[in-house]
Amino acid sequence: MKSIKNIILASSILILSAFTISNSLNWTISEGYEIKFSSSTGDPEGIFKTINGDIQFNENDLASSKFDFKVDVNSINTGNGMQNKHAISAKWFDAEKYPNIEFKSSNFSKTETGYSVTGTMKMHGVNKKMTLPFTFSNNVFKSIFSVNRIDFNIGESMEKVSDDIKLEVSLPVTKK
Amino acid sequence: MKKFLIHGVTAGVLAGIAGIIYQKAYEGAMLLDFSAIINPGSIVGASIFGCILMAIGYGLLERFKKPNLKGWLNVLIAVLSFLSILGPLAMILPLEVEFPEMFFGLAIPMHFFPAMIFFGLNPFFTKPRHHE
Repeated sequence: MKSIKNIILASSILILSAFTISNSLNWTISEGYEIKFSSSTGDPEGIFKTINGDIQFNENDLASSKFDFKVDVNSINTGNGMQNKHAISAKWFDAEKYPNIEFKSSNFSKTETGYSVTGTMKMHGVNKKMTLPFTFSNNVFKSIFSVNRIDFNIGESMEKVSDDIKLEVSLPVTKK
Repeated sequence: MKKFLIHGVTAGVLAGIAGIIYQKAYEGAMLLDFSAIINPGSIVGASIFGCILMAIGYGLLERFKKPNLKGWLNVLIAVLSFLSILGPLAMILPLEVEFPEMFFGLAIPMHFFPAMIFFGLNPFFTKPRHHE
């Protein structure tokens, strides 16, 4: 009887410790991350240089996973100083009023090619629910998706700048 | 024609040296590094190329005996130098280069060095006119 109790106790400790480990997968964004944007018209094209975020991700416990990112709009770089100033002006991102692009996750799911995360994208003061596909391998999160800038009231629809902007995100991470 | 080519090459080399000194001073003062885009070789090469074109213009006026048009040629050179600043204004730098907005302050003044030095050296390569 005592040995059965011991087995149950040992099993309980093992299960609980496994549960604790699965909930404690916090990640820090490492150097070498990239947030590229481009469009079918070739203009605009560039990067955001600064991102901060809180990443909790466990492939075996998606329910407890969480993404909370903030991209600094002022860190935009198109390779041309005049274009950069234009991009952060009131006509486009209005960085003075809306200094960050934010994404907060609400739900994760497994897909055929990797994962998808549903959450709220806040850009230019507009909140929009979006589902973004991503992969995670070798401690690197990668995602390619498009946003329609008109949905976020960024600029006006015009021939020279396409409405859909493609984003390519690569975030190498290390465990906290 | 040889005299004009010497004029052009001399002005080009001096403009190149001025450009290199300006680059060192600008990048040093602003704590910037644009060496991936502009280097001493490209500065000297572009300066010599521009000044040789000016020299060819002067040489052609001499050959076709139209020295009176030299003033208009100078105006054309000045206008082209001014228009050439559209190049750096429209230039898309590699995305890893920091502070692209500071690039204009480096590149634009350099576009005036060749013409400025070419015009400055002109009296050394032109015979003074004798009034009758």
